[in-house]
Amino acid sequence: MKIVVTVKLVPDPNAQKRIDPATKRLVRSGVETVLNPYDEYALEAALQLKERAGDGTTVTVFSMGPEALRETLRKALAMGADEAVFLSDPALEGSDVWTTAYAMAKALEKSGFDLLVVGGLTDDGSTGAVPGALAEHLRLPCVTNARKAEIADGKLRVERETDGGYQVVSGPLPALLTTALTFGEPRYASLKGIMGAKKKTITTLTLADLGLDRAVGTEGSKIKLESFAPPPPREKGRVVEASDGASGARTIFDFLREKKLV
Amino acid sequence: MKNVIVYAEHRNGQTGKVTFEMATEARKLAGALGGQAHAVVLGAGAPALASTLATYPLDVVHVAEDSEVDAFLLDPVVDYLAAAATAVGPALLLIPNTLSGRDVAGRLVARLNAGIGADVTDFKVEGGRVECVSPKMGGALITVCAIEPADYGIATIRPNAFSAAPGGAEANVRSLEKPPGKHYATAIEQDVEEGTGELALEEAPVVVAGGRGLGGPEPFETLLKPLARALGGAVGASRAAADAGWVPYSLQIGQTGKTVTPNLYVAVGISGAIQHKVGMRSAGTIVSINKDATAAIGDFSDLLVVGDAFQIVPELTKLIEAAKA
Repeated sequence: MKIVVTVKLVPDPNAQKRIDPATKRLVRSGVETVLNPYDEYALEAALQLKERAGDGTTVTVFSMGPEALRETLRKALAMGADEAVFLSDPALEGSDVWTTAYAMAKALEKSGFDLLVVGGLTDDGSTGAVPGALAEHLRLPCVTNARKAEIADGKLRVERETDGGYQVVSGPLPALLTTALTFGEPRYASLKGIMGAKKKTITTLTLADLGLDRAVGTEGSKIKLESFAPPPPREKGRVVEASDGASGARTIFDFLREKKLV
Repeated sequence: MKNVIVYAEHRNGQTGKVTFEMATEARKLAGALGGQAHAVVLGAGAPALASTLATYPLDVVHVAEDSEVDAFLLDPVVDYLAAAATAVGPALLLIPNTLSGRDVAGRLVARLNAGIGADVTDFKVEGGRVECVSPKMGGALITVCAIEPADYGIATIRPNAFSAAPGGAEANVRSLEKPPGKHYATAIEQDVEEGTGELALEEAPVVVAGGRGLGGPEPFETLLKPLARALGGAVGASRAAADAGWVPYSLQIGQTGKTVTPNLYVAVGISGAIQHKVGMRSAGTIVSINKDATAAIGDFSDLLVVGDAFQIVPELTKLIEAAKA
């Protein structure tokens, strides 16, 4: 069985974020690139499924991004993925959900898979819509927010989180699976894993390898970013020392009254 | 895009406030685009919800009470919505920004060759072009994205961002034909509702959240729940409280939890780390109670009361209940 995990390479979410006013894109220079945290959970899920399936199952990491980020994929290989495929082409810059999913779908069709595992969200400029769009482009069942998954007799059985609780669903493979953060903490790369990752293969694809018949990047995007700005800052409000419970409660109550919130 | 179509997500006819917020906004958008406002209601309980929706300013409510909608994972919903979009013609689809709403929206992006504005809190329409205002990165940036004029566009809608107001002409309720030749394979074997019948955190107009300062799980029940009930809101928590196992992760607000935008946020014993701030800073009014006058939460609270939450909260609950009586 071949499992493919998509990962996005993003600026460290713990770093201060800045957007270039000229290009209206995230400034990546000076910020470490990491695997999108949600995608680490997807990779963890894929590695667990591989371990349970035993011999003959492989995990391939797929990513799309600027060429300079290619080596960051070693982090995923160090966690235990077998190989990586990296789609990189300057013409992909400025892709929206539709074009991103379209280009990814074309590349993934080429490499083939039985199960595609995708992170639930991305940490930067998230829409949460890429997994669904990708499933649709690939004409795959789309099973999202998994907290448990098992594969038996060629069927995928998943316990998934819903807005109000959870569901158990089952369906055929190939399928697209997205993971919830409750699937399990991503493993750390072992020293052996890190050393081994250096010898693993990262295959680079460009758009020329895909044979696209629709425009991608800024040209193919159906969305245009018009502007962005920080929201007006929240003014520091009042600070009141409460002498006892009753006076503290009265202070809050009067304030809520004044704001017409009670 | 000329018309507007609202996807009314529900469970057995029970729906969130966001559905009515979308129905109300749909009329305004349709007016600006020069088209009609529609809604689609699917699955068990659809007719009941459709009759409620008909009291909102919509032109047509499309209904399909098809058992396959509840028996198979999302595929029937996507097919019905695509069929409705085709029948209605060029349209902007409004979909709630919920877990399943995002899945549906993503599928329709590809199916309808549409642009998408995500987590939208406001719209501007100019010459058939729809501009979507969305907070990004936990509210650190406000972006404006234009959906280029095309046949279809999609916007996922943040709950509590738009107002809901019934009224207007009685909508026409019509049944929606089942798309032909569809066979579904991903079956829902079990569907478990874990909620206690209380308000969903993301939808609650008031959130009362507790943190490390509460010291254990009991105060969430004995202090926060009664206050939330008095205010007509829901209980949330900081990451520290969820990590300590005092509350389930489903209550966690912040970067790795939920983002909430209530009219009123009451933070009890929460220090206000950035990880928490990004999940709640877009709230209308923020009131905090903390022992520490220098707690970071004071920097973005409209009111910080420095004192003992264990004494203040019960008194406050009493005052609010007395005012309501």
